[in-house]
Amino acid sequence: MITVQNVHKWFGDLHVLKGVSLQVNKGDALVVIGPSGSGKSTLLRCINLLVQPDEGDIIIDGVKVNDPRIRPEWVRQQVGMVFQSFNLFTHLNALENVMIGLRKVKRMDRAGAERMARFELERVGLADKADAYPAQLSGGQQQRVAIARALALNPKAVLFDEPTSALDPEFIREVLDVMTKLAEEGMTMVVVTHEMGFAHNVADRVLFMADGVVVEEGTPDEVFDRPQKERTQAFVGKILG
Amino acid sequence: MGLKAAAKEIWTRLEDRPVLRSAIAIGGLLGLGLALVLGLAAVGIVSLRFLADNATFLAVPALTSLSATLLSFAIGFAGAIPMGLVRAFAPRILRGEGWRRAAFAPLYGAVTSYVEAIRGTPAFVQIFLVAQVSGLIFPGNPNIPFWGGTLALTINTLGYQTEVFRAGFQSVGQSQVEAAKSIGMRPVQVFLHITLPQGLRLITLPLVNEWVGLFKASALLAYVAVPELLWAASYLGNNRSHPIEAFIMVSSVYLAIIVPLSKAVGWWERKHRIPGLGVAERTVGVGRRRAVVAAGTPAGGLD
Repeated sequence: MITVQNVHKWFGDLHVLKGVSLQVNKGDALVVIGPSGSGKSTLLRCINLLVQPDEGDIIIDGVKVNDPRIRPEWVRQQVGMVFQSFNLFTHLNALENVMIGLRKVKRMDRAGAERMARFELERVGLADKADAYPAQLSGGQQQRVAIARALALNPKAVLFDEPTSALDPEFIREVLDVMTKLAEEGMTMVVVTHEMGFAHNVADRVLFMADGVVVEEGTPDEVFDRPQKERTQAFVGKILG
Repeated sequence: MGLKAAAKEIWTRLEDRPVLRSAIAIGGLLGLGLALVLGLAAVGIVSLRFLADNATFLAVPALTSLSATLLSFAIGFAGAIPMGLVRAFAPRILRGEGWRRAAFAPLYGAVTSYVEAIRGTPAFVQIFLVAQVSGLIFPGNPNIPFWGGTLALTINTLGYQTEVFRAGFQSVGQSQVEAAKSIGMRPVQVFLHITLPQGLRLITLPLVNEWVGLFKASALLAYVAVPELLWAASYLGNNRSHPIEAFIMVSSVYLAIIVPLSKAVGWWERKHRIPGLGVAERTVGVGRRRAVVAAGTPAGGLD
């Protein structure tokens, strides 16, 4: 479903991604872990072309998408994204946040878009918050609206960039529950997270990145319980410690 | 109840009633003006008779001032959106490379020079310059003072409004733009549906300030023979030897237009303010310093 082949990215002189490759099969959840500054967010942003890779290929459903002939807007409709700080549109209420992609990008009529948006809000348990503006919602509620906004476009995969890192502890659970449900429904997901419980229970594969390279990859048991590389052992020891 | 406590009580009751507050402010202004005029009349400086006889003299000039201001403000508004965009976002493109950089460098340079030229010279000088030039190009045309004056005001407000829009566009967060891109919006859609509506809400009040400033600056058109408010007042004052009355009259007309308008826009802005967007500010309590809390935040609603 998603293949990343030998991707490099420089920001000026800074070599952020040094030949990263990965593969996510349809319906799988890949969790990416690693210390901050290891290039995890940049990797996610390369997959939906918010950041243009300097070298290497991004292949989604058999199509090489980092190609000048392919519109990045088309790619981003195929691959949804959920941000660390939610990034809900502050001037729109919850329902409009979910609707706007359907209306403006998918060009649906108002009634159809509203029906679909209400259904997506229902899915994340926020049907009763449709009229609330982002500033009137808790962090957990905002992030669930953001998930609904990504799902509304019916993407083939969803990227999560540390979706619970900006949340107070009491709101983390509700977001992880929505994500777990999504994984169980067979959504293809790439999740950058520090939630090891979630990674252990939900991920099909876990990938450990450091300094712009993939250090180790495997099933959650392999990476967390029997890490092979020294750096993985050190990192896993610290976070599970 | 002591005086201080009474004042506190009144303030608390007025706090959430902006319309009533505005009504009191306008009422106070009217009262003061009336007291001033009557006082001056009592000591023989002002002739009430003259005021009554010429009460409608400024009606048509007021329309002239208003049309020149509204027209130039509207054209300036339309032009300031693209120019503000260039001012706000061209620097980022210029840091990149390739054909975009080559295309935007002269554009950015031109817009920036324009803004600096307008802000760095007196409006009075700009008006004289435009009036002289348009008088040379269309000699003897009786409509030229008005249209030349309106053009000068347009040129002036375009520079200021461009900066207002630049500030508005730049205060829309990059995370908002990224989110819009992530759901597949094209750059034009990001601008139309995210940056513009959010930016406009942020600059409503600065735009009103600019309108008020422009309306007052339109008085300068009197000096290039536009029959607007100040011109008419000078006529009244000089030809009929009642300059004080004339200037009291013209001041009242400016106030009568500006105060209700800015109050109305302020009221509209508060009514349509979106919780959490822009200057979500509500004053609470009394005292020299006012505590500021976010409006529209339900108790415990924010984490």
